[in-house]
Amino acid sequence: MQGSRFTRILRDITAVVVVAIFMFPLFWWGLTSIKPQSAIFNKDEVVFFDFKPTLVNYQVTLLGKSRAELAIESGSTFGVGGGSTYDSRKTILDSLLIAVGSTALTIFLGVIAAYALSRINFRGRQAYLNWILSQRFMPPIAIIVPVVFMFHYVGLRDTIMGLVFIHTLINLPVAVLLMKSFFDDVPVEVDEAAMLDGATRFQIFRKVILPLVTGGVAATAVLCFIFSWTEFLLSLFLTNTIRTLPVKISTFVTSTGSEWGFISALGTSAIIPSFIFILLVQKQLVRGLTLGSLKD
Amino acid sequence: MSQAAVAARPARGFALPRFLTSEHPFPWLAPITAVLLVFGVYPLLYALWLSLHKRNPATRISVWDPDYNWLKILTDDRMWGAIGHTYLYTIVAIVIELLLGLLIALLLDTDRRGYGILRALMTLPLVVPPAVTGMMFLLMMDGSFGVLSRGLYAVGILSPSQPILASSGTALMGILITDIWQWTPFMVLIMMAGLRALPKDPYEAAAIDGATAVQAFFKLTLPMLSKIIAIAVLIRGVDLFRIYDYVKVMTEGGPGTATETLTAYAGTIYFKNADFPYASTIALFTLILVVVTSSIFIKLFKVKF
Repeated sequence: MQGSRFTRILRDITAVVVVAIFMFPLFWWGLTSIKPQSAIFNKDEVVFFDFKPTLVNYQVTLLGKSRAELAIESGSTFGVGGGSTYDSRKTILDSLLIAVGSTALTIFLGVIAAYALSRINFRGRQAYLNWILSQRFMPPIAIIVPVVFMFHYVGLRDTIMGLVFIHTLINLPVAVLLMKSFFDDVPVEVDEAAMLDGATRFQIFRKVILPLVTGGVAATAVLCFIFSWTEFLLSLFLTNTIRTLPVKISTFVTSTGSEWGFISALGTSAIIPSFIFILLVQKQLVRGLTLGSLKD
Repeated sequence: MSQAAVAARPARGFALPRFLTSEHPFPWLAPITAVLLVFGVYPLLYALWLSLHKRNPATRISVWDPDYNWLKILTDDRMWGAIGHTYLYTIVAIVIELLLGLLIALLLDTDRRGYGILRALMTLPLVVPPAVTGMMFLLMMDGSFGVLSRGLYAVGILSPSQPILASSGTALMGILITDIWQWTPFMVLIMMAGLRALPKDPYEAAAIDGATAVQAFFKLTLPMLSKIIAIAVLIRGVDLFRIYDYVKVMTEGGPGTATETLTAYAGTIYFKNADFPYASTIALFTLILVVVTSSIFIKLFKVKF
């Protein structure tokens, strides 16, 4: 479909406009985070650029300053109020620990299982794979009530460890299927050659095959991290004081009036790490999204 | 590879049973199986056990009454409403996301300069935490100062007296717009990968036969993409069916129960009524619907992973 100069320009314009429409909410979100309250809540007109940028929202959510402090600093008395509930430093740390912890555990468990499922023939292998796949399709709501009880009894409720376990559970099926597809890409002859040299399965896995799939491991890890970082339902049910970022942000929405400045500032901060990570794994993204069944 | 050969195997004083050696799948699969059993299968059985109890809201005690909750589902209008919303939401979202995804994929699938950046930008919505996406659109759809609401008022599609998320007729649409924004890129990415994997020969043959681009799309591209489309629809469909984040953040199922989906209903029963057995029953019923619907889909479209 080469077409004339005119159709090519038309296509360029359409493509840019479509992508711009998809980028607009992100742009608006970022813009809101540096707006003063008066510009966010302006009911007379939509404020685009006609405002004085401010970092107050970031200072409150990321640095833990109170609005009263900031008001005194700047010599203004507008918007005094809003206490430590908006300080999100601990939330960010908790979210990071949970995401890193569950990613590490998922990768450790998933990679060894994926290697065996790719290389060792045994009866019921396909059934086992189907079982793993079915775990991916299970709605988290189906297990959440019992998990709350279970965690309550064993003391995992409202702990970082508890969320690490449950995010690992949700991530494992994807990690196994994805890693299996990366192992499947390595020819079996490589294993066989090493086996002729007298290496055991485990030696082959650790010394020969694992170094060949580090790119795949990295991509899988990134996807696991992003899932844990963005997960909402399980964290909401399982925690009260330990909060992951998405849950914490949602508590800023109240019936008496939402603090859109803080919400958008913290939201923007939560989005940025995901963006950086996702741009690193563009090549393996499709494979990840289709559980390893489609290779780009 | 030679390293492995050079490394002499240490002489073992005792022999491990075969199923504990690394030649056997057991040691490789035991840890993950344990995790899946403890945190996945056991809770599911526990949920089933819970669902066979009747909770007395006054005494807060659950007593064994196996068919109470399951019969309650059949006569619970709110439950059937939730089922209806969930299917409506899933089907509408899938159709729109698939069509938009296919069109945008065709639009962006070219080697021309600059399109790489556009493709990379299109992936960004995918990694925004859904709860944050919900809030982004909640802000934009705010009845008095939301930029999207204001835009729609200006062109006369909506009136300020009926804010999009606060009117029962349009609230579900508001959530759908949010979903479509976040997940159309999922379809775009998969369709683009599918398009790039297509063989070139049939198109050359079709061009010689004088087929137009539109004919080539419907007669060649679409049939060849059908397998990938089926996989994408299945994965997206299962995720859509358990929609919760947007509903929770944007409407809490309201106004009334206009946007209450199955997961949201179970959540409400859990948080507001603390009726754990009934919440479990709703959740299990959701699981049954997912299994049945996806099995029919897999059979019908012969999906293979």
